[in-house]
Amino acid sequence: MKRYLIILFLGVGGIASAQDNYFYINWDVNFPLTNTEWVGATSTRGAKLGFRKFIGSERKFSVGVDVNWAYYEEYKPTETFLQPGGGAITTDYFNDIFQAGAVASGQYYFPLGNGSRFFPYAGIGLGAGRTAYKVSYNIYTDEEDSWGFLARPEAGILVRLGERRRLGLMAAVHYDFSTTKSESYNYDNFMNAGFQIGIMMMQW
Amino acid sequence: MKRAWIACICLAPLLLACEPEPDAMLLLDQLVVSTNYDTNINFETYSTYSIATDTIGFVSNQSNDTILVNTKSTYPRPVLQKVVANLNSAGYTRVGRNENPDMRINVYVVNNYDLYQQVVYPNYYYPSYYGYGYGYGGYYGYPYVNTYESNTGSLVVEILDLKTVTPDKKVKVIWGAYMGDVYSAIDVIKQSEEAIDQAFIQSPYLHN
Repeated sequence: MKRYLIILFLGVGGIASAQDNYFYINWDVNFPLTNTEWVGATSTRGAKLGFRKFIGSERKFSVGVDVNWAYYEEYKPTETFLQPGGGAITTDYFNDIFQAGAVASGQYYFPLGNGSRFFPYAGIGLGAGRTAYKVSYNIYTDEEDSWGFLARPEAGILVRLGERRRLGLMAAVHYDFSTTKSESYNYDNFMNAGFQIGIMMMQW
Repeated sequence: MKRAWIACICLAPLLLACEPEPDAMLLLDQLVVSTNYDTNINFETYSTYSIATDTIGFVSNQSNDTILVNTKSTYPRPVLQKVVANLNSAGYTRVGRNENPDMRINVYVVNNYDLYQQVVYPNYYYPSYYGYGYGYGGYYGYPYVNTYESNTGSLVVEILDLKTVTPDKKVKVIWGAYMGDVYSAIDVIKQSEEAIDQAFIQSPYLHN
């Protein structure tokens, strides 16, 4: 998987034409904020990548596309569930959530220093998200899949490694709100906060 | 520029394919135990039962065998002994089949074998130009078949009510325990024994 992502990173970076833009790929750590009794553990299995193009020569605004995925997992020790009608089921199990999204985003960049290496920004992304809520026990799974609207405010910073270098680092925090619901697992929506860090390829 | 945008958008399906799976080994070290019973039955009114000694039933869609016997498998005897031990602990008394027992205990394994086949047509192309030589340069991938199989099974323990036999000789299942998956179990005998214990623990109404 890593190899494919590196190839994609280099490939999309190379595709970008000689306009002011950047392509990034980040490791994404997320914290669920909704129904944390079901899954409350921090997710370290996530990634986000995107392409953003600056508008105007001052590089104060950019627009782009971001795609992401995150996997939340929590092991639940053996438990007995009483069923309506007198039955009972005993098992240990995993609750897990797979979340993926694609948003169109816009960013505003705050001036810092001489404006050649550090680019702090704040922005928002709006798009669509998919959340799969799944319970796995023994070889069996129960799953509820949901698509919905995804909104993601985000603040971060781009750090160019050198004034003449195209490679840079990126770090950001974000908050995701998604209307993906699950009646079976008691989710009216899905919210999470996240921290992302990674590399970017600048084109200017 | 446009291609970069399109590439980013096209990555979304790729990301969807990244969905990980939980640690199977953690889940396979014990069976799922499900029990059900007839809530109209007062199990205190039953006192005796009969059960086979070294044979359990086998229901499978891939085998004509209908029983598992101790001479061919080490599985039946410890499973049956565990069921007997739990019934005795619950206060029931084992008797012979001809001694008019109140309950008959059925123990069997249900095996479900599924085979899926999918025909895959690889990408193929024939260049419309002569760059690789006139009449050549094309590659054709022949279709091939991917075969997937799954083999799952449950251990089932049932209590049949012999006190209430219908005129056409039918009996009713008044308690059932379903434990799976026995085919993926790491130590199937040990896990089956533990599952049987659990089935009785979560059925406290089974006491005489």
